Amino acid sequence: MNSLKYIFLLIFTASIFQSCSDWIDVEPRTTIDSNNALNSLDRINAAVNGMYDRLQTTNLYGRDLIAIPEALADNGRATNKSGRLNPEYRNTTGAHFLIWEFAYRTINEANLIIASLPARTEIAQDVRDGIEGQALFIRGLMYLELMKAYAYMPKAIVDVQNKGGVPLVLNGVADLPQVTFPPRSSIDDCYNQIYSDLKAAAVKLEKTAASRAPAYATKSAALSLLSRAYLYGGDYANAAKASEDAMALVGSKLLTKANYIAGFRSAVNPESIFEIPFVTNENIGVNLSLQTTYTTLVAVGNRTTTGGFGDLVPSANLLAAFQSDIDSVAGIFDQRRALYELGTMGRGTAEIECTKYLGKNGTVNLDNIVIIRASEVLLNRAEAYYNTNKEAEALTDVNTIRTRAGLPAKTGLTGQALLDEILKQRRLELAFEGHRFFDLKRLGKDLVKAPANVPFTDFRILAGIPARELGANKNLVQNFGY
Amino acid sequence: MRLITFVLLLFSSMLVSAQTKVVGKVTDEKSGNPVIGASVSVKGTTIGTVTDIDGQYEIMANNGDVLVISYVGMNDYEYTVGSGASTLINLQEKSLNLDEVVVTGYGGSLSKKQVTGSISKVKSDEIENLPVQSFDRALQGRISGVQVTSANGIPGGAVQVRIRGVGSISGSLDPLYIVDGVPLNSTNRSLFTSSNPLNFLNPNDIESIEILKDASTTSIYGSQAANGVILVTTKKGKAGKTKIDFNYYKGWVSPPNKLEVLNTQDWIRTRTDAVKNAAPGTTDAAALTSVLTGIRLPGNLTQAQIDSLPTYDWQDEAFQLGQMDNYELALSGGNDKTKFYWSGGLNKADANLVNADFWRGSTALRLSQEVTKRLYIETSVNLGVTKSNGQFGGPSGGSFLGASAFSSSLMLPHNPIYNADGSYYGTPADGGTAGILNQNIIMVSKLNEISSKVLSTVGNINAVYKITDYWKFKPFFGIDYSNITGRNYQDPRTPDGFNVKGRLQLDFNENTNYTTGAVLNYNRLFNQIHNFDALVGYEYRKEANEFSYAWIEGFPSPDFKYPSQGASPQSITGGWAGYAKQALLSQVKYGFNSKYFLTGTLRYDGSSRFGRNNRYGLFPGVSAAWVLSEESFIKNIPFISDLKLRAGWGITGRDQLANGNYFPSLGLYSAAAYNNNGGIVISTLSNPDLVWEKTTEVNVGLEFGILNNKMRGQIDVFDRKSTDLLLELGVPQTSGFNTISSNVGELSNRGVEVELGVNWYRSKSFSWVTDFNYTGIQNKVLKLYDGITKIANRDSFTILPGNTSIIVGKPIGAVFTSEYAGVNPATGRGMWYDENGNITYNPRNPGDFKYHGSNIPKFFGGLTNSFTFFRDLELIAGFQYEFGRKAINNQGTFLSENGGRLFNVLQDVYDRRWVKPGDITDVPRSYNGNAETRGVSNLSGTRLLEDASYIRLKTLTLSYNFCRKNFIKKIESMKVYATAFNIHTWTKWSGYDPEWINFGNGNNGVVPLSKSFIVGAQIVF
Repeated sequence: MNSLKYIFLLIFTASIFQSCSDWIDVEPRTTIDSNNALNSLDRINAAVNGMYDRLQTTNLYGRDLIAIPEALADNGRATNKSGRLNPEYRNTTGAHFLIWEFAYRTINEANLIIASLPARTEIAQDVRDGIEGQALFIRGLMYLELMKAYAYMPKAIVDVQNKGGVPLVLNGVADLPQVTFPPRSSIDDCYNQIYSDLKAAAVKLEKTAASRAPAYATKSAALSLLSRAYLYGGDYANAAKASEDAMALVGSKLLTKANYIAGFRSAVNPESIFEIPFVTNENIGVNLSLQTTYTTLVAVGNRTTTGGFGDLVPSANLLAAFQSDIDSVAGIFDQRRALYELGTMGRGTAEIECTKYLGKNGTVNLDNIVIIRASEVLLNRAEAYYNTNKEAEALTDVNTIRTRAGLPAKTGLTGQALLDEILKQRRLELAFEGHRFFDLKRLGKDLVKAPANVPFTDFRILAGIPARELGANKNLVQNFGY
Repeated sequence: MRLITFVLLLFSSMLVSAQTKVVGKVTDEKSGNPVIGASVSVKGTTIGTVTDIDGQYEIMANNGDVLVISYVGMNDYEYTVGSGASTLINLQEKSLNLDEVVVTGYGGSLSKKQVTGSISKVKSDEIENLPVQSFDRALQGRISGVQVTSANGIPGGAVQVRIRGVGSISGSLDPLYIVDGVPLNSTNRSLFTSSNPLNFLNPNDIESIEILKDASTTSIYGSQAANGVILVTTKKGKAGKTKIDFNYYKGWVSPPNKLEVLNTQDWIRTRTDAVKNAAPGTTDAAALTSVLTGIRLPGNLTQAQIDSLPTYDWQDEAFQLGQMDNYELALSGGNDKTKFYWSGGLNKADANLVNADFWRGSTALRLSQEVTKRLYIETSVNLGVTKSNGQFGGPSGGSFLGASAFSSSLMLPHNPIYNADGSYYGTPADGGTAGILNQNIIMVSKLNEISSKVLSTVGNINAVYKITDYWKFKPFFGIDYSNITGRNYQDPRTPDGFNVKGRLQLDFNENTNYTTGAVLNYNRLFNQIHNFDALVGYEYRKEANEFSYAWIEGFPSPDFKYPSQGASPQSITGGWAGYAKQALLSQVKYGFNSKYFLTGTLRYDGSSRFGRNNRYGLFPGVSAAWVLSEESFIKNIPFISDLKLRAGWGITGRDQLANGNYFPSLGLYSAAAYNNNGGIVISTLSNPDLVWEKTTEVNVGLEFGILNNKMRGQIDVFDRKSTDLLLELGVPQTSGFNTISSNVGELSNRGVEVELGVNWYRSKSFSWVTDFNYTGIQNKVLKLYDGITKIANRDSFTILPGNTSIIVGKPIGAVFTSEYAGVNPATGRGMWYDENGNITYNPRNPGDFKYHGSNIPKFFGGLTNSFTFFRDLELIAGFQYEFGRKAINNQGTFLSENGGRLFNVLQDVYDRRWVKPGDITDVPRSYNGNAETRGVSNLSGTRLLEDASYIRLKTLTLSYNFCRKNFIKKIESMKVYATAFNIHTWTKWSGYDPEWINFGNGNNGVVPLSKSFIVGAQIVF
C-alpha cells in the first residue's frame, strides 16, 4: 500500500513533536524563574541587595516612615503648597501609614533568603551567617515598623480597642500553595519575634565587617535597633543593655559640637548606623522626595531658587521648644535650630523649613535616608536608664546631647523633670526624622496640635489595615474604628 | 468565429482517436476582453490547460467529457464536449453565491458551497483606492460580525478590530492576522505615535481577505484563534503578457467641524458668575476684577474695554486641510512555469491636525515557479517603511492636556496665538499662556517632534510537492520582522523642555517572528460522490522582542536632537521577551454528492507561555452543511436558487495575553538595584496550573439565494462562551504579593449576523446592487471570582475590584455612575438621583450608582449601493452604522465647566445654563470649582453620558472605466475615480466624532476623523 508510507511519515512527524517538546521551552531573560532563583551565592547576594531595595519605596523610607510621623504628631505643620500630607496633618480618618503591602513584601524577601541558606552548604558558614543576619535584621525592622503603625505598643494599650499585633509570617512564599491566611498575633508575640530576630541578627552579623555600614546591616545596626525595639516594647532593662552594647560599638560615631551641623550637610552623616542610600537614577523627584516634602530650598541660604513644595514645616510648638532654652543675653543658642531656616516664596508664603534633607548627594531631591544614628541610641539609653533607676547615668547621657547642641548641662534633674528633659531632647534631636508620633504613641500621650487635638484613646492613633486585605484574608480583624 | 470553431470541432471529431482536440476562446462577458490564464480542465481528471494571451485554449478531450472553465472572480462554466455547445465562452463575473472560492487556512480552499462554518470574504475591488493606510480600516461596515473602529483620525493611526464581540477581560482582543500564510504580530508597539502594525501592507496589493469567524473554522489555529482569524491573500502574477499597472490618486482631508466655543466676553461673563455664585458676598466689581487678574488681564478694565477684547480661534490654527498622495506601480506576468508580481507604492498623508502625518514606501515581490510537474514553489516578500509624526500628547493615554486636538477648543479665547511680530505668544520665557492650559499648544505641536519610523518585512516561501495525484506535501516558512524607532523630542523652547534644556526620548523596538512547518494533504473523489480532503501538519512559531529606550536631557540648542548631543543622560532601559509554540494540526473535510459536507478539525497546541502542568491543549472543531437546494424537494421550488443549512461547534484558545505577559504562570525574580549594586526581588507569584483562556462556540447558519440569485444572503446565530479568563486574583499581602493571575472569569457573546445582497436590476446599460449587513451582539460578564463583596444597594452588583466597567450580568464596558436629574429651577444646582429615585446633591459612590449602558454597541453594520451605468460608469455609496454605544464625553466634560475652572466653554452649554430662579434647563449655574457646597461636581454622573450611536455615509465613489479594447492603442484599461470618505455622520454625539477608542483618557485629545476626498486614475498597459 502506497499510503502506508504516509502513515509512517505521520508517525515520524508525531515523534518529532514528542521529542522536541523542549523547543518551546523559553526561559525569561529579563527575569529569572523563582523556582531555582536562590541557588548560588551570587544570586542570594543579589536577593539580599534586592531586599534592601524594597526599603526605598516612598511608602517606606522613601518618604512616609520619615515624614508621616512628623505630620501626624505635633512636630509638623502642613502648608498645603502641593496639598500633600495635609490630610495626615489634620489626622483625617484614613490618612495614615500605608506600609502593610510594602513591609510584607520586604519580609517575604527576607524569609526566602533565610529559607535558601541551609541547602547551600557549599557557601562558607561565615558568609551564610552574614547573609542570614542581614535578612533577620530587615525582618525585625519591618515587623517593628508594622507594629508601630498598626498596633498598640506594649506600654500604652487602650484595652477595649486592642485587636492585637500583626500577622507573623516567617516562611517565604514563592508559589500559590505557600500562601497562608494568618490571623493577627498578640502584641507580645510580635515584639518577642522582633527581639529574637534582632538578637539573632546581632549574633550572625558578628563577623560582618563594620565597613559595610551604613548602607548594609551590621552588628552595630542590629544592637542599635534592638535598643529601640526594647524601648518601644517597654522592656527597659533589656533596652539599657542593648543600648550599652550598641554604644560600645557606635559611641565614637557621635558628632561633636564642632562638627554637628557639618554632619547634617554631608552625604553620609557620620553618626549614621544604618541608612538607605539613594543614587542618581533613584531620585524620588519633585513630588514625593523628603527634600521637596520639607523645603522649598535647594541650598542653604539661597532664597532665590525654588526647588520643592515645602509641604511640611516645623510647627510653632516645635520652634518654641527650640526657643525655650535660648538665652541671647547669656549667649546660649541651640545649634540644632540652624537646621531650620526660612524658605523661598516660590510656592507661596515663605516658611521656616527643615533642611536636614537638601540634596546632599549632589542632586536636588537626592538624599540618603538615615534610619538609625548614634544620638538615638544614646537617647534610648538615657530613657532606659531613667526607667531602671539609673537617673544619674540618664542625666549624663542627656547632658551629652544638650552640651553638644550648645546648651548648658542640667544639674540635679530627677524624676518626671528628668524624663521630660530626655523626651524633649529626643524630640529636638530627632525632629523630622520619623520619630515623634511613635514617641508619643508608645507613652500613651495625646497629640496636642493646632488643627485639633487627638486624644490617645482616639481610634486614629492606629492605622487601618487595608480594606482589600480583609477581603483577601478572612482571618484578619480590622483595627477599632475602621 | 463560431463557424470556424464548429469546423474545427467537426474536424477534430472526425479523428480516429478517441480523443479530440477542442479549441476555443474565453472572454469576459462584461468587457468582451479575452480572459488570460483561465483554467480549462476535463472534469474528474487532472487534465487541464490555461488560456493564452488572446484568451484561447486547446485541450484534448473525449466526446462526452465535461470541460470546466474557471477563473478567479468569475463563475465557473461547464459544457460537454461533442454536445454542440459553443467553445466560445463568456465568463460572468461572480456574484456572492455558493460557487465562490474561499480560503480556509493551511493551503486549503473550498467553494462557498462546501463551507461548513462561518467565513466572510472581501475582494480586492471592494477595498481598493480608498483613502486609508491599512486594510483593516477599509473593512469597516463591510462584513457582518466584524466591528472595526478607528482610534482616531490620524492617518495610519491605530485601528481596533473585534470579531464577534469582546471575549476577554485582560487578554488581547485582536484577531489573528495571517498574510499569505504568515501569522503576524499585530501588537501595537509604538510608544509615541498612534500606529497600526498592518500599515506595512498597501491595501491595493491585496487580492482577497477571508475572515474566519466561528470556532469550528478557526479551531485549526487553536490557541491563538479565540478572537477570530483574518486571512489575507495578496495579488499574484498571472501567465501571459506582462501587465503594467499604474495608479495615482491625490486627496485632501478637511479640518473637522469645529466645536462652537465662547468668545472672550461671554467667557468672562460666565466665569464672573461662577466666582460670584461660589462666594455669595462678592460684589460684581470684585468678582470681575478677580476674574480678569486670574487670566492676566488688568483688573480695572472697563466694560467698554472688555467689549473690545479680541477673541482668537485656536481650533482654526490646530486643524488644517491635509493633503494625500498615493502612487503605485505594479508589474505582473509570466508563463506557464514562472509567474511574477511586483509592486511599489508611495503613500503620503497629512492629518487634519498640525504636524501629524504619515508616509509609507512599500514594495512587494511574489514569484512562483513550477520546478517540475510535481514541485511548485512560491515566495513573496513584502517590505514597508512607514514614517509618521504624531500629535503631541501621547497616542494611548499620556498627557492629553498638551494635545492640540484637546486643547484648541479649551484654550481661553483671549490668548493670542502669535505676537504682533509673528512669533509665538505665551512662550515659557514669557510665563506661558493664561488659564489652566498654560502652554501655546500650536507652538508645542509645531516645535516638538513625536515621530516613529517602522520597518516591516513579511516574507515567506512555500512549496507544494505532488507525491501522487492525491497526496501533496506542503512545507512552509514565513517571517514577520519589524523594527520601530520612536522619537519624542521636547524642544527646549516648549514648557516640557524648557527647564531641562530639551528632552529626548528614544525608543527602539525590534520584533522577530517566524513560523515554519509542513502540511500533508490528501484529496480524492471516490465514485464521483465521496469527496475526501484531509490534512495533517506541524507548525512551529517563535517570536522574540527586544527593545531599548533612552532618555536624554540638556541639549545645547534646538538644533541638536540626537542622543550624543545631550549633556545629561537620565535613563537607559532595555529588555527582551519571547515565546515559542508548536502544534500538530489535522482536518478532514468530507463531501457527499455535493449535498452533505462535514468538517472535523483537531489541533494540539503547546506554548511556552504556560506552566508545565498545562503546557498543551487540544482544540477541536466540528461542522456540517446540508445543501438543501440540491435536494429534489427544494430544487422543485422555482424561486429558491440556493439554500444551505450549516452548523458548527468548536473550541479555541487565547494565548495572546496582556502586553509583556510572556510568563504568566512562572514565579519571577526581577532585577533591582541598591547602593549601586545589582539585586533581584521576587515580583510574581507562580501559578503552574495556569491555562489559556478558552472560547467555546456554537454557530448555526442559513445561506440562501432566491429568484435566480437576485437576492442572496446568509443568517448566522452564534453563542460563544469564553471561560478560564485570566484575572488578577487578590492574595493576602502578608504573603508578599498583591495578586496572582488565575483562570477565573467567564464572558458570553451571543449574536445574530445577517448579510443580504440584492441585484435589483441588471442589464447592459444599468445595474443596481445593494449589500446590507447587520450584527447584533449581546455581551455579558458571567463570572468574575468568588469573594468579591457585592455593592450594598438594591442592584447588589458584583463589580471587578478597581474596574467599574466590568459588572457581572452586564456587558463589558459598563457605565456605572449616578444618574443626573437635571437642575433645580429654584437654585440652579445640579441634582442627581439616589438609590431610591429621590433627588440628592451628593450621590453616594457606589450606593447610588447604577448601570447606564455600555461602551460596546448593541448592533452595527453597513449598507452599500452600487450602480453601474453602461458597464463602465460606477457609483458606489457605502454607509456604516453602530447603535447602542454609550460613552462619557470626557472632552465635553471639560468644555461644560461653564467657567468653573479656566477652560473655554461650549456655546450651547453657555446658552442653556441656569441664570435665574425659574429657568428650566439641564445646565447648572456657573460655579467656581464646579462643586457646590456639600455637593458633587456639576459634571458628575450621567450628565455627560451620551449616545455614541451613529450612521455614517462612509464612502461615495464614482469611477469610469475606459476598458474597451483599443480605446487607446497599447492601453489595456484605464480607470478614473473619485471618492469622498466620511461624508456625513448622523449622531447625537456632541463631541467632534463618535468614533474613537478609549485608551485610558476617554475621548480627550482624540484627533477626530473628518471628511476626505480623492481623485485618481489607474492605467493598465
